[in-house]
Amino acid sequence: MNSKILFEVSRLVIPFIQVFGAYVILHGHLSPGGGFAGGTIIGASLILYRVIYGKTEAEERLTYSKLLSLMCISLIAYGILKGYSFITGGSHLEVFNIPIGTPGKLLSGGLILPLNICIGIVVSVVIYFLFKLFYEGEI
Amino acid sequence: MIIKSFPLLTIIFLFITSFTMPLFKKDVISKRLSFITLSISSVISLISVIYIKFNGEIYYRVGHWDAPWGIELHVGIIEGIIGLVFTSVATLAIWYSMFSLERSMKERIGFYYLLINILIGSLLGIVYTNDLFNAFVFIEVSTIAACGIVVIKNKKENIKAALKYLILSILGSGLVLMGIAFIYSITGNLNMTFIHNELIKIHGQYQSTVLITLVLFTIGLGVKSAMFPLHTWLPDAHSNSPASASAILSGLVLKAYVFLLIKILFRVFGLEIISQYPLLDLILILGSAGMIMGSVLAILQRNIKRVIAYSSVAQMGYIFYGIGLGNELGLAMAIYHIIGHALTKSTLFLSVGSIIEQTGNHKLTDLRGVGKEMPVTLSIFTIGAFSMVGIPILPGFISKWYFALASIEAGKLLYLGVILASSLLNALYYFPIVINSFFGEENLKGRVYMSKNKPLKELVPVLVLTLLVFLIGIFNKGIIDAIRLDLF
Amino acid sequence: MQGIITNYFETGAIILFGVGFVTLLLHNNLIKKIIGMNIMDTAIFLFFISKGYIEGREAPIVKEINATKEGFVNPLPTGLMLTGIVVAVSMTAFALALTIKLYEKYGTIELNEIMKMRSD
Repeated sequence: MNSKILFEVSRLVIPFIQVFGAYVILHGHLSPGGGFAGGTIIGASLILYRVIYGKTEAEERLTYSKLLSLMCISLIAYGILKGYSFITGGSHLEVFNIPIGTPGKLLSGGLILPLNICIGIVVSVVIYFLFKLFYEGEI
Repeated sequence: MIIKSFPLLTIIFLFITSFTMPLFKKDVISKRLSFITLSISSVISLISVIYIKFNGEIYYRVGHWDAPWGIELHVGIIEGIIGLVFTSVATLAIWYSMFSLERSMKERIGFYYLLINILIGSLLGIVYTNDLFNAFVFIEVSTIAACGIVVIKNKKENIKAALKYLILSILGSGLVLMGIAFIYSITGNLNMTFIHNELIKIHGQYQSTVLITLVLFTIGLGVKSAMFPLHTWLPDAHSNSPASASAILSGLVLKAYVFLLIKILFRVFGLEIISQYPLLDLILILGSAGMIMGSVLAILQRNIKRVIAYSSVAQMGYIFYGIGLGNELGLAMAIYHIIGHALTKSTLFLSVGSIIEQTGNHKLTDLRGVGKEMPVTLSIFTIGAFSMVGIPILPGFISKWYFALASIEAGKLLYLGVILASSLLNALYYFPIVINSFFGEENLKGRVYMSKNKPLKELVPVLVLTLLVFLIGIFNKGIIDAIRLDLF
Repeated sequence: MQGIITNYFETGAIILFGVGFVTLLLHNNLIKKIIGMNIMDTAIFLFFISKGYIEGREAPIVKEINATKEGFVNPLPTGLMLTGIVVAVSMTAFALALTIKLYEKYGTIELNEIMKMRSD
């Protein structure tokens, strides 16, 4: 799409969308939102970038292999963190106690914050991939 | 005790390792990774079976919440054995596919192994879980993975088969979720044990709701496990995928859903509640129809993989027959048949897969005289076929024999005829294949003895499977007793 | 009759479920089948969430520390259906992707025409 207005406006708007998405992800345990909602917002910004800047430039920045490995690493991290909590909780082991946290403090949420970040990454990549799948016919 | 968390550890381990595969560029690494992780998980399953054998069943809470609030796993001896069978059959099928997958598909090999790991992990989840909604999530994960495995060859027929499978599966899972909604609305619980305790108190007030829920679960899981009139997706899906995938889809995926149905019928509702409704008779009739019609449809096929796929419909009919008898022996034999059929059907699919790979023929008429070229493979196929027909010692015979005893015990003598007729029909399509391929005269000219046999190292997994089939048949007494002890 | 009117959420959900089920089963067009599947899933979500809703209570967000459970609706069905929605979205995406591939190979998305083109 070759419109000057679109270029300028999107260059202005995309960072704000992404910051808002990051805000929603990071405050998932304090306010409504969380990894899934924030991930969709960031995914929407990626889609906007792809639509306006075209295929070649988007693929230069957001390469398939980079996004795929980012997604896989977050999934593995999610599995390991959650698996640790499942297994220590299930077999009543208290090797390393994860803090429960104090209400209202951002960084005291225990495992919820890293898990939310993982979900956010996975969801944003998946949303972008779904868009590419239907827009271009392949990922 | 950390050993109690082994069932959960298997599931998490398989899921985590499946996502490491796309990080590596080479297909060989994901192949080996899949094989290694599956063999580790079968060893873990073996350890947990031994642990359960000596220490009794495991109720395992997932996370930090106790049963009615958190998710719970329940692993008794039956679940342990089925989990062991699933992981070991998958290990052997992957071992087989390590040598031969490239011959049937060129690209996306890494994704194939990723999907296999996810599929086995989610099937184990279905088997182990004690929570209805968790079971639903695992059902959906396994459905997506199974459809992905069907479609991975990217040919015309595969896409058609996968879409058919997907649409009917979505229908089934919609019905299951509706059933969960109904049962949650009358009991307020999702944990199977708690639902059972609640249902015993209140089922008198909610008779029609309980009936609707039962029908929803039976049809929903019946679609997924190919109960007779709902089996239409099965032959396409199972005959078009690569050999190892057919073995896993036909041997394991159907069995997980039917096992979940058994758990829901006999653990969540319990025999006292179901026997007030004519549901078990319906399952019995549908099972008998499947036993007969699956075999009849198999006789009409010309493609050997479709014959075996239709034979799956007939064998699933046996399992539903055992459930429908509604007594203890019938149920125990249904579970024994799940195990026996999982091993036998994967043997059949793997041996037929290697025949098709080596000769390139999949029509029944072209297979005449193949026994001269590949005698070892065909002998393995013959053992599997004998088990299906019901030759003594082999597991097929054991289950038919005890099914007959169970129907006498239940006082349903008429249904003995169904077992007999089904065995005869089985013989009618398996024996011609075996006889024609060993002794088919007209095609023998110009064929060299053992010329197309696979190298022995590629046949080892199939031979191990055959050995397991024999072992299951010989040690039937111990297995059936263990199952009966732990029956719900 | 009285029960149908008081439980209007459930009644609507069951009617929607029937609509979706029939669309999924009887239509030949694959896109319509997928739409039917979505209607069916939405009906189940409506049914489930209406089971957790209690008239006159609030969303379960703790504002004061000493809030009791009497003030809130049941949060569990909502949480479950969040999972259900994710599953339904992924199923829809997968089915649509397969439909596109099918259209590329066969040139039609009418299921009865595809079934006629048998290739053995």
